[in-house]
Amino acid sequence: MGQEISEFGKVFLFLAVGVIFVVLGFVTSRLIRPHRPYTEKLTTYECGEEPKGSAWVQFNIRFYVVALIFIIFDVEVLFLYPWATIFKQVGGYALAVALVFLGVLTLGLIYEWKKGYINWVVPTPNIPKMPTKKFEKPKSLEKPKVAEPETTA
Amino acid sequence: MPNNLPEIIEQVKLSLGAFVPEISLSALFLLVITLDMVLNEKRVVIPMVSLVGFVITGFFTWQQLDMPNQEYFLRMHVVDPFAVFFKFLFLGAGALAVLITMDSEELGEKNVANIGEYYAVLIAMVLGMFLMASASDMLMMFLALELVSISSYILTGYLKHQIKSSEASLKYIIYGAVSSGLMVYGMSLIYGLTGQTNIYEIAKFISANEVDEVTLTLAALLVMGGFGYKIGAVPFHFWSPDVYEGAPTPVTAFLSVGSKAAGFAMLIRFFKVAIPAEPTGELAFDWVNFFALIALVSMLLGNFAAIWQSNVKRMLAYSSIAHAGYLLLGVLVADDLGTQAVMFYLAAYTVMTVGAFYVVILIANKIGSDDVNDYRGLGKRMPLTAAALTVFLVSLTGLPPTVGFIGKYMIFTALLGKGTVFLTLAIIGVLTSAVSLYYYFKIPLNMYLRESEDGAETPMESSAFANALAAFLMILTIGFGLFFTPLANFAKNSVIMLVMN
Amino acid sequence: METVSFILFSFLGALVMVGSIGTVWSRNPVTSALFLVLNFFALGGIYLLLEAQFIAVVQVIVYAGAIMVLFLFTIMLLNLDDEQALKEKFDLQKGFGILLGGVLLVEVLYILGLKINLPQKSTTLTPVEIGEAKNIGRELITNFLFPFEIVSILLLLAVVGAIVLAKKNFSPNT
Repeated sequence: MGQEISEFGKVFLFLAVGVIFVVLGFVTSRLIRPHRPYTEKLTTYECGEEPKGSAWVQFNIRFYVVALIFIIFDVEVLFLYPWATIFKQVGGYALAVALVFLGVLTLGLIYEWKKGYINWVVPTPNIPKMPTKKFEKPKSLEKPKVAEPETTA
Repeated sequence: MPNNLPEIIEQVKLSLGAFVPEISLSALFLLVITLDMVLNEKRVVIPMVSLVGFVITGFFTWQQLDMPNQEYFLRMHVVDPFAVFFKFLFLGAGALAVLITMDSEELGEKNVANIGEYYAVLIAMVLGMFLMASASDMLMMFLALELVSISSYILTGYLKHQIKSSEASLKYIIYGAVSSGLMVYGMSLIYGLTGQTNIYEIAKFISANEVDEVTLTLAALLVMGGFGYKIGAVPFHFWSPDVYEGAPTPVTAFLSVGSKAAGFAMLIRFFKVAIPAEPTGELAFDWVNFFALIALVSMLLGNFAAIWQSNVKRMLAYSSIAHAGYLLLGVLVADDLGTQAVMFYLAAYTVMTVGAFYVVILIANKIGSDDVNDYRGLGKRMPLTAAALTVFLVSLTGLPPTVGFIGKYMIFTALLGKGTVFLTLAIIGVLTSAVSLYYYFKIPLNMYLRESEDGAETPMESSAFANALAAFLMILTIGFGLFFTPLANFAKNSVIMLVMN
Repeated sequence: METVSFILFSFLGALVMVGSIGTVWSRNPVTSALFLVLNFFALGGIYLLLEAQFIAVVQVIVYAGAIMVLFLFTIMLLNLDDEQALKEKFDLQKGFGILLGGVLLVEVLYILGLKINLPQKSTTLTPVEIGEAKNIGRELITNFLFPFEIVSILLLLAVVGAIVLAKKNFSPNT
């Protein structure tokens, strides 16, 4: 036993060899390939289109709340996983333990639900103004949409 | 299959009986969250429910007075008179926080749309403090501390539309994360040294085996980082002026008394139990000198920095740093007299600090400012409120006939007759108290002896309820100053801590 | 063999260090975040090396997965176009940080230099078995039942806090 590496060490050796293999490939290709950069080559590839503006867009804060809630339930599930592996052996007591744990957290879920953070309301899109002269739509297409709510109201 | 399962289930059943106050608080926490979802009108119902819940919890805590000192939940949780004393303190502070919140314009309808969660988080914080006072395992200590910390971050940032409040919350989180990180690192070192997380087992191991002293000292210093942040002592105090100023004032009041008391409860238990004095009086490592240094710097920095503050909340923040120093003096004596003095002082500090902050709230409700210079002429305009504030400040300074005087007196006498170092510390404590007189009395000076700029003299007294509460706290401050024996006796009887079984 | 483990550990340790230094040094916040991912993964690897497979998985799922997403969201939320704005000058705060880091480094070195007789835990389990989810589960519902249940309250508090603080703005009816 003393001579062996740890169980996961073997996995690591496997991984390490894999990583080295890839790195080796990249390094070799870097060494032998020709190096002639020019502007066209260096621009970001966007399906053949000319890239315009920054790739940075400001996210809606809604995503953030969802991510936060996700983390909390992620942690919850991680606590339940070891419990689930032992549940069958222990039985009723384990069930009681998990019911208390889940009971408390279910209230959290209901709370979110009630506060409307699980309902995904599509925000009103903020369409940037187009130069209207060039792309003006035919009036016949646009009119009913705007006019309808007014007439009904 | 754990073969000792029936035994464990038996133990858990037994432990549940010793956990009733905490269960009641948890149930209250869940109930308030549910009410917040269900009710439309929350401003009156939820605080009332919280208060009733606190009273019920107080009843269960009272029943714990005659429980045997024992560890429960497989050695995670202790019930002893020491913990019970602090539980009463936290309930009192929590109830006062609820009461003073109801009167605060800052958290009123105009500024905060939904107040339901506020009370829920407040209750969770009280629960965390309960756990802090009775944690006997480093894991539980960390969890309880996090429960309190996370609640305080939320409460500090509750006024989201105010940049100051958000900024305070962010600063608090960053300092809090660093110090709990340090604390966990220290705990992991202690675990590495002893192989135990239970503080009684650690004590046993340290007294039975040779432990590397330097490592233990370093570990204890790191742990002290976490505790010191909670009690707000130098050099872990950086957050407190900003947080005290930015947080809603009721939250500031609760943080300054509740968090501090909980930090002290945990600190006293940890250092008295885990690293106890040997029968020869020798410590496994010298935490007393270290505490002496922290106490000294806290007293000096807190009191001298407070002189330059013109914002009352900021000034009280520095004064609370100084008070952490005084309290540490009681801790470092490391005998029952000192601990008793700390407990008495914490109770006194709760009454007078909540009182002072309450009056600050009442004044801010009327004049919309926390600045000392705007307090001019208030003695005529709000006579009762001004009188109450004066009494609280007298008490914070430590002058008779108030409860603050008795508290300081008990701490300084505990230091006497124990050697020149302690004597020097006591003298410095008295001298810095004299310094505190200077900045505390800036407020009454402005209120009584200076006219307001516009010369307004129209009275603007608060509601009858507010006056009654302020008067009640004022009476407590003076009453406990004159008839301090019951409280002192309660503290004396509560010093009994479960030490080594 | 000891040496193989040692080589693996050194490799992963180096990755952790590269990750953390890269996080602090890179100017672009997204690059910073990606270096942090490297750090998290390498740390997970070290846990594996210590035969704590469950903890390693948790590390990868929670940190490299969930928390990283949160970091990236925040970066996108803040819209940090101007990298210059993040540049800081050397000041007292940084000096203090370096001092604190130095103290911690000395401390770690000191502890590494010690020959501590580690207290032995009486257990019949091999290290690999201890790291198994099953055994962690068993501990969770027996010896650590109390902290386990308290964690549920802590998580509920976190849910409430997340919603209270991240709610976009105040609207009277929610």
